[in-house]
Amino acid sequence: MLNVLLDVVTTAAMLFIVSAGLLIVFGVMKIVNFSHGAFLTVGGYASVVATQLGLGWWWGLPLSLVCGFVLGGAVEWLIVRPLYARPLDAILATWGLGIILGQLITLAFGRGVQMVASPIEGAVPVLGTHYSAYRLLLVVAALAVALALGWLLNGTRLGLQTRAVIMNEGLARGLGISSARVRFLTFCTGAALAAAAGCLITPLSSVDPNMGVPWIVGAFMLVLVSGASLVSLAVASIVLGGAQVLVSTFVDPVLGGLMIAVLAALLLRFRPEGFARG
Amino acid sequence: MKSPRSTRHEDRQSHKPRTSYASALALSLCAFAVQATYAAESVKIGVPVGLSGANSVVAPSIVQSAQLAVDEINAKGGILGRQVTLEVADDGSGAAGAQKAFDSLIFDKKVDALISAETSAARNAGLPIVSRGKVPFVYTSFYEGRSCNRNMYVDGWVPDQQVAPVVDYFMNHDHAKTFFLIGSDYAFGRGMLDFTKAYIEKKGGKVIGNEYLPMDGSDWTSIISKLQAAKPDAIITSTAGGAPNVTLTKQLRAAGVKVPYGNLAVDEGTAKSMGADAAGIFMSGSYVTSIDSPANQAFLAAMKKRFGNDLKTPNDLSVPEYEAVYLYKAAVEKAGSFDSAKVIPALAQVSFMGPRGTIQMDKQRHAPLTMYLSQVQPDGSVKVIQSFSHLDPGAQCPNLK
Repeated sequence: MLNVLLDVVTTAAMLFIVSAGLLIVFGVMKIVNFSHGAFLTVGGYASVVATQLGLGWWWGLPLSLVCGFVLGGAVEWLIVRPLYARPLDAILATWGLGIILGQLITLAFGRGVQMVASPIEGAVPVLGTHYSAYRLLLVVAALAVALALGWLLNGTRLGLQTRAVIMNEGLARGLGISSARVRFLTFCTGAALAAAAGCLITPLSSVDPNMGVPWIVGAFMLVLVSGASLVSLAVASIVLGGAQVLVSTFVDPVLGGLMIAVLAALLLRFRPEGFARG
Repeated sequence: MKSPRSTRHEDRQSHKPRTSYASALALSLCAFAVQATYAAESVKIGVPVGLSGANSVVAPSIVQSAQLAVDEINAKGGILGRQVTLEVADDGSGAAGAQKAFDSLIFDKKVDALISAETSAARNAGLPIVSRGKVPFVYTSFYEGRSCNRNMYVDGWVPDQQVAPVVDYFMNHDHAKTFFLIGSDYAFGRGMLDFTKAYIEKKGGKVIGNEYLPMDGSDWTSIISKLQAAKPDAIITSTAGGAPNVTLTKQLRAAGVKVPYGNLAVDEGTAKSMGADAAGIFMSGSYVTSIDSPANQAFLAAMKKRFGNDLKTPNDLSVPEYEAVYLYKAAVEKAGSFDSAKVIPALAQVSFMGPRGTIQMDKQRHAPLTMYLSQVQPDGSVKVIQSFSHLDPGAQCPNLK
């Protein structure tokens, strides 16, 4: 029983980390960045590169953050910015970008599946049972991401401007806030977070050019039911992620995989604002 | 070119460009015809294999084996005097990709034979296309058995040869009575574990868990939780070859699972790529690199010479490929022709002395094989515990021939 509970908590943590970047981009720019999966993949390969260079997996984290930030900046400048006034076209453009990035990665690294060794091996004793140490580390990572983003949004001037833009972009610009700069930095941060998430999930599974694709659907659903709030995202991760784990464990893993999408659709039908506060 | 203004002269002049176009066209057609005839001189062997997806971990080794066999055969004059070329296509390790790969190889590239290892999902999707194209198909992968097609031969092992050594060892040596089975949810995973369950129960053991994940799934969390709750004496797994083996083993070790672990679908190459996580895994197969025979030593030396540092560990999925190419050559030479109708019966009559010993696919399209039960050591090497000579594949295709 305790194992299942820990499964729920660690799966929720993984979902939170993967979706956080998508959430802030959606909240500020009101577009769904469908290249999120490709940035996840970039982060995964950053950890492969770090391991191949002999640096050890831990260096994969800063490497993926930097790669994600820089690549995100280039993408925002070249692709998203010219499409400011056409959000639907911007969404399509990010989808196309995701495909292009996937193919570029295939050209550079090959089509095959690669593995990254876990930085922490084995299980640790927790409250009477043994549990995977790395999965517990993910909970710590999720908390770190939440705290960092929370501090950025609530404790810095940039965060204040970002919240203003989220609330009402026109009004914020009228007050002299450079929404272009806020959008740019938000996209960069979102991409960096996606890359870091990709790096964090590699020790548990594997790295291949399409590793990000299955995660986009889940992240997309979670973001839709969360609006623009990190707290709602945390709640959504626990509720929907928990449903996924419980159904996978007690019913069938295939049905469990459907849970996030099905529950999100049902929730939005009955409460369009999802978990957000009105 | 200026021509004087005379209609007749102009007519003659305007014919000149047309005739020169016509002759240029004729020349290029001739060139194509010559090239086409030249190309028809080479024998094409199609290799549909999982360059992407689950099998991508092992596919490079399979392609390398095929390349070495083709290079060696070409150096000795080819097959019936014709040089051999390889056409490799990606089947995505699954049904959708296999349809595209088989279609393109059989109807577009017009290969003379298909020789490859693939997932059972890919094989089952490709077989109807093979039947339509009437091309000989040598399937070189181990699999769950009982797959029969007029055009197909198999030189990999089937559960009738592979499962008993593992289960018997666990029951006799480790006194295991309860087993937990984990597999990938498709023909191979289900087929292997159904056979295993029946064998365990026949021997008086009990299966206390039987869980499956889709072939491309990589999150084994819920299944590992169930495993830990059930507390079995031993685990036996049968996932798709390649990536699922790695993710399952990684997650099992991360969760601290230490009971005897028999993996029915892992090969030496994949085990090496798992690093320290693979230590202790029991494998049962028809090939290990430590086989001490002159044929194996010669094969390994030739592979090392051909590929150097790029060499992928030869394994139970790639060595049968090497032998199958030679078996095809022998069949064509026996039949005296490349015609499928003559080559297909001949494939049962020829044999080849390869790294795994003498291989002949004469038992209802399948081959008797020597099997090795081995265990992965902490340093990554594989130690053979028991070997079983010339195990019969059983009645795989009683309705064929």
